[in-house]
Amino acid sequence: MIGSLARSFSREEPAAPEPFNAPLFRSLIERIPEDERWVVLDLGAVCPRVISLFGGHRCRLDIADVGLGLAALERPLESPDLRKAAEALLPELHAEAADLVLCWDTLNYLNRDALTALMARIHDRCRPGTLVHALICYSDSQMPVEPGHYVPQDDGSLVNATDCNEQRDAPRYSPEDLTLCMQGYSIDRAMLLSNGMQEFLFRL
Amino acid sequence: MFELGKKDGSEAGNENSSQSGDQWPDTQDQSSHAAASAASQGVAAIGRSIRINGDLEGEEDLRIDGEVNGTVRLKKNAVIIGSDGKIRADVYAKSVAVEGAVEGDLFGAEQVSIRRSATVKGNITAPRVSLEDGAHFKGSIEMDPEAVKAALGDAAIASASSKQSQPAAKPTPIAASKVNGDASHAEEPIHAAKG
Repeated sequence: MIGSLARSFSREEPAAPEPFNAPLFRSLIERIPEDERWVVLDLGAVCPRVISLFGGHRCRLDIADVGLGLAALERPLESPDLRKAAEALLPELHAEAADLVLCWDTLNYLNRDALTALMARIHDRCRPGTLVHALICYSDSQMPVEPGHYVPQDDGSLVNATDCNEQRDAPRYSPEDLTLCMQGYSIDRAMLLSNGMQEFLFRL
Repeated sequence: MFELGKKDGSEAGNENSSQSGDQWPDTQDQSSHAAASAASQGVAAIGRSIRINGDLEGEEDLRIDGEVNGTVRLKKNAVIIGSDGKIRADVYAKSVAVEGAVEGDLFGAEQVSIRRSATVKGNITAPRVSLEDGAHFKGSIEMDPEAVKAALGDAAIASASSKQSQPAAKPTPIAASKVNGDASHAEEPIHAAKG
């Protein structure tokens, strides 16, 4: 009886994805002032929890959803065309610079040229002191074929809600690689997470 | 201190939100019935086969299941863009709910709701923004009350803080709305609102 109950439970819905601690992300959102206006550029797809996170604060949230257009950056392109393709992925340029850029794991899905081009375009939308958060595949040689859908939790942890099982090689960018590709950005802090990703906080 | 999930009385980020104007018909309705449903609820409707090029103004709630290219100004009323609706326009309304496709900026004096079937490319300015999981959005969401106030005027903040229910819409024909531009239709008439 107990065994059959246990089996029936085991056939239930697949387990929800586990949250993982992202201390730099948590510290980042904790330091957003309540009384100051912030402009946040989110490279990921729109997420109700992210809107909730910044809602009620003096924020403008720019959603780039670059995942939909990453293929455009995979083709070998001459520099001007690559710049144009990178610019096309971003929301329209506002007069106000971004204070915070959320890359999630997008940078893993860009080759070096594309990474350089995209981050240069983003640099143009930022100001000195802008913070950039990113998750880089570090320990694992494989990663899902599509960027994740990261959902902030109430306790500051993150859940990757993507149910993509197909894998591809991860570029495993080192801090040196990133520094070379991201001219004008410096690594503020970096931490290796329990899920094998390295969490980075860059600063312009 | 920044508080995760804080909504500050707003409904921002409510994945399962079913609010955004109780006056709207069920968002899961088949689009073929939506216009009739809207009409039966005293909401003017632009049917699926209607295409409007130009500016649209009025003083009654409006459901759009057709195509609008231009500007929609219903500053004291609600606008719903049905799942078949295709808008290439800036929309100014008291509240905006999107189930279809929008290319343009949305200004909601009270709120803007993006449903799971929606695709929006443009900017949203509203004191309250709700978005369902599955919706596609690219653009900016302005949630800073001061910036919203600057963009929409004091009415935005006043209407957002007011919980007073709206009186039932009167059974007025679409003629009460003003269309500046070309309106064309193939086989489906504009549904006049009926009580």
